Amino acid sequence: MPVTTAVFYLLAAVTLGSACGVAFGTNILYSAFALMGTFLGVAAIFVLLGADFLGVIQLFVYVGGILVLTLFAVMLTHRIDVQVSNRAVGRLPGLVVVGVVATWMIRVARAARWTEGQPGPPAATTAGIGDAFLGTYVLPFEVASVVLLAALIGAIVVSRKEVKG
Amino acid sequence: MQELVDSLVADGFVPGGLPLWVAYLGAMLVFGGIVVFVFILPIAGITTWVERRVAGRIQSRIGPNRTGPAGFLQWLADGIKSVLKEDIVPSAADVPLFKLAPYVVMTGFVAAFVVVPFGGPLIIADLNVGILYLTAVTALVVVGILMAGWASNNKWSLLGGIRSAAQIVSYEIPAGLSILPVVMLAGTLSMQGIIGHQGWAPWTWHVFDNPFTFFAFFILFVSALAEGNRTPFDLPEAESELVMGFATEYSGLRNLLFFMAEWGNLYVIGAVVTTLFLGGWQIPLALADHPVPRIVLQFAIFFAKAYFWVFVAVWLRWTLPRIRVDQMMIMCWKYLVPIAFVNFMGTAVWMVLFPAGVPAVRVLLSLTAAGLLVAFARRVVFHVRRALLTREELSFNPLSTARVMSRG
Amino acid sequence: MDATQSLRYFGPELVLTAAIMAVLALDLGLTARGIERSRWPGIVALAGAAAAIGSAVRLLRVPAREWLFGRMLVFDGFSVYFKVLLGLALLAAVWMSLGSREVRGQPNEGEYFTLLLSSGLAMLLMAAAANLLMAYLSLEFASLTSYVLTGFLRHNRRSAEAALKYLIYGGVASGAMIYGMSWIFGLTGSMDYAGIAAGIAQLDDPSRGAFFLALVLVLAGFGYKVASVPFHMWAPDVYTGAPIPVTAFLAVGSKAAGFAMLLRFFHFGVGAAGPVGAVTRVPLLQLGTLLCAATMTLGNLAALSQQNMKRLLAYSSIAHAGYALLGFVVFADAGVQAVLFYLTVYYIMNLGAFWVVMLIANATGHEDLPSYRGLAWRGGALPALALAIFLFSLAGLPPLAGFVGKFYVFGAGVERGLIALVVVGVLNSVVSLYYYVRVVKTMFLDEPRAEDAPVHFALNDLAAVGLLSAATLVLGIRFDWLLARVETARRIFAG
Repeated sequence: MPVTTAVFYLLAAVTLGSACGVAFGTNILYSAFALMGTFLGVAAIFVLLGADFLGVIQLFVYVGGILVLTLFAVMLTHRIDVQVSNRAVGRLPGLVVVGVVATWMIRVARAARWTEGQPGPPAATTAGIGDAFLGTYVLPFEVASVVLLAALIGAIVVSRKEVKG
Repeated sequence: MQELVDSLVADGFVPGGLPLWVAYLGAMLVFGGIVVFVFILPIAGITTWVERRVAGRIQSRIGPNRTGPAGFLQWLADGIKSVLKEDIVPSAADVPLFKLAPYVVMTGFVAAFVVVPFGGPLIIADLNVGILYLTAVTALVVVGILMAGWASNNKWSLLGGIRSAAQIVSYEIPAGLSILPVVMLAGTLSMQGIIGHQGWAPWTWHVFDNPFTFFAFFILFVSALAEGNRTPFDLPEAESELVMGFATEYSGLRNLLFFMAEWGNLYVIGAVVTTLFLGGWQIPLALADHPVPRIVLQFAIFFAKAYFWVFVAVWLRWTLPRIRVDQMMIMCWKYLVPIAFVNFMGTAVWMVLFPAGVPAVRVLLSLTAAGLLVAFARRVVFHVRRALLTREELSFNPLSTARVMSRG
Repeated sequence: MDATQSLRYFGPELVLTAAIMAVLALDLGLTARGIERSRWPGIVALAGAAAAIGSAVRLLRVPAREWLFGRMLVFDGFSVYFKVLLGLALLAAVWMSLGSREVRGQPNEGEYFTLLLSSGLAMLLMAAAANLLMAYLSLEFASLTSYVLTGFLRHNRRSAEAALKYLIYGGVASGAMIYGMSWIFGLTGSMDYAGIAAGIAQLDDPSRGAFFLALVLVLAGFGYKVASVPFHMWAPDVYTGAPIPVTAFLAVGSKAAGFAMLLRFFHFGVGAAGPVGAVTRVPLLQLGTLLCAATMTLGNLAALSQQNMKRLLAYSSIAHAGYALLGFVVFADAGVQAVLFYLTVYYIMNLGAFWVVMLIANATGHEDLPSYRGLAWRGGALPALALAIFLFSLAGLPPLAGFVGKFYVFGAGVERGLIALVVVGVLNSVVSLYYYVRVVKTMFLDEPRAEDAPVHFALNDLAAVGLLSAATLVLGIRFDWLLARVETARRIFAG
């Protein structure tokens, strides 16, 4: 097995292991901290694939922004232990569904022939991403900024205290 | 690092059969080890000594002076003391997180050194995304601090942790926006690339490139201080309010790790502003021909520039009072962020209008800065002289404060 | 076509974006001067929506069929048709909001109109998206704004609950969708629909299983947008909890935009080379049939026992999504035409029904069925009559527009040989008659009781309702006019 493949499986194991920690932890704060492992694993996989800029941005946005906000939200609420409020939805039926779907997925994914790119030598990606944002992908880029503006306004509408007029 | 290894291979220092990547990796690890154990740890320790000496001077007292010459070995004594102390874990703490937190902080802090240049080819890894990486790994420190704050199961710790995280996350924005003009000017995110875009002479530095970068430099420095939890932004560990903030419950080695990260971070701040704005390790090439003295000289000039800003940070800490939480947030969001935006846009416009830059503006700005420095130095000298005079008079009569007061 | 050239075909979106900024700036200016509860943000929003429609109508006459913005969007008759329809939905929603007690004079009213316009913009983008990236982005945009609009009633627990449920369902559905999209990209190596179609033509047999799985996952996202079973569960709560203008906008606008995406993806991306089942050799027809039958049946059966008008209309809208899905399952141009026609008619009658519900809620403060008792005999004869027209049309009685719509959908199904599915659809229409007629009976045949206060309506409120009921009647007879419009719009540009 080439070194990169071994590294990939290692990173994938870290990512998935942490993700399982997030999903199955009963302490929501542990889940939040386990999320850090997932984010770091994904960032490392990006770097492994030669997307260094994307990897660092993943670290920057997800660990530095989203994870910290999640931790804030969790720490500012009182209850840390997750209570299962709906007993009807147990773990066993969920496990069965997940098992069936996962088996199906793995079977078809292994059978399928995926398109493969030709890996080139590692190169700096930053300038290419910048050009693409203002070239081919200018519309998604601009729309994303409108989406973020709307989300910002929406968040303020939902959360701000009523000002006595 | 790569070029250093290349030259070593060329000179035959590396065994021939070795694959090149093993050589690179080995060199990186060796140099990384050297950086951590021979540089970061002592630098963090020595900075504590510097800080206490400077604080002593500023507060008209002596500071540590017993251990070694002028108390220099105080930091070692303190370090040994901390290591030998009992590592107390509060019984109500969340033990795994409590124990993990200092390491997370330390990881984030040490990881930053991967891209910090030291002079010439000395850098652990000159990443393409260098400066972005450096701002991104700060995130680990934030997570570690939140972890420590929560796991201690202590109100002061939690408040300190949350304050610290809020502060770091907020001040990352003006800091990032102040880094952008430099990235635009240099056209690269790599630390060595940014230094390579500047020269040894002050008028070739980014800080004097145009009026916008001049302000961006100060915004970056202020934001970096806030991110490093330094006074006047040391609310997370405000002694008078929160005991010691997120580190309240920590003792022994774990406590030491937090403080190592904090003091070491001061050097990172200095190195970053030096790299981005102050020409990094650039020296006039004529000064040294042979690689060894050249690298030594480059290291010296870089260290001097970087440590100057460490000194300024220490200075500010003992001169300025702490600001309030709301003032800190207002300063960030209502002043620094908009000004940083103006700097960013202004630099972009400047680059379009004057693609080659304006030498006159560069020279003018550097002269202005030099003038300000001279004026400041004169003031300092004046006050020092007066203080010396006063002390002489005081030494005659310890109770003669009235006379000093009357001198105004 | 590059970005600057594309702008010529991008008028409605540009106008809406300008309107969003204008409303935002105006609201900021008003707040800074201490003026609250101004009606100007709403009026500017109304003007913006009207201008967007004007711009879209002008584009109707442009014969060009083009890729826009480097294969992100397409410009064709189909997208322009939907842009007009969605613009009209937005205009109606803004107009309703201006007369709604739940919205007018509330805190954050300016932001409400900003978000409403943003939601409209997102839906216009959804209608034109021909690239997985744009499809996901615009769908997420529409969802995000919808969540906030649903939870706009700050002191109403139902509203908050609805927004939360909507958010959670939406998160799961769009997560499944983007995962499916990643599989499609992995299999075909392309993100724009024409490239996907080309990639599918070259799929080998072992890859079909993975491809089918990807389609199922993508359908989760689209199905959530159009509220089809089994992704319908958010709809009743959201329709009940949201302010009525938002409910109406979600019921007609969000559904239409979802169908636009669904049709474009399956007729352009997946099935451009011919009938979908034949080309891809995956059991898509069976899956579609199942979804369609389940959606119709579940929607109608659940609507039978509803006491709240908004909830009743929510289940009815699920059932109508089922009828429209029948046109989708046909997987042919005739089906697209039927869906377009059906959605247009559905727009008119469902919007009208919600409008009357809002007027009555404004007058009585209630939305449940008992407050409709004897409505016709206590001052509400005209709204009651209009509501009766809309409900009969929704049930599909001739000679109303709803009948023609169903006729075309079922006709397309019969042509394709989906007899069983059409039978299910007709049976469902019969079932639906029960609960629609129940409302009409409550309004006309039940005697008002002493505690039922008389209601009054302003003339301008009745004008819009009158307009919509007239349209329902006219389109029931002069459907050939709409059919001609739909005929030109149904041909989807295929690269």
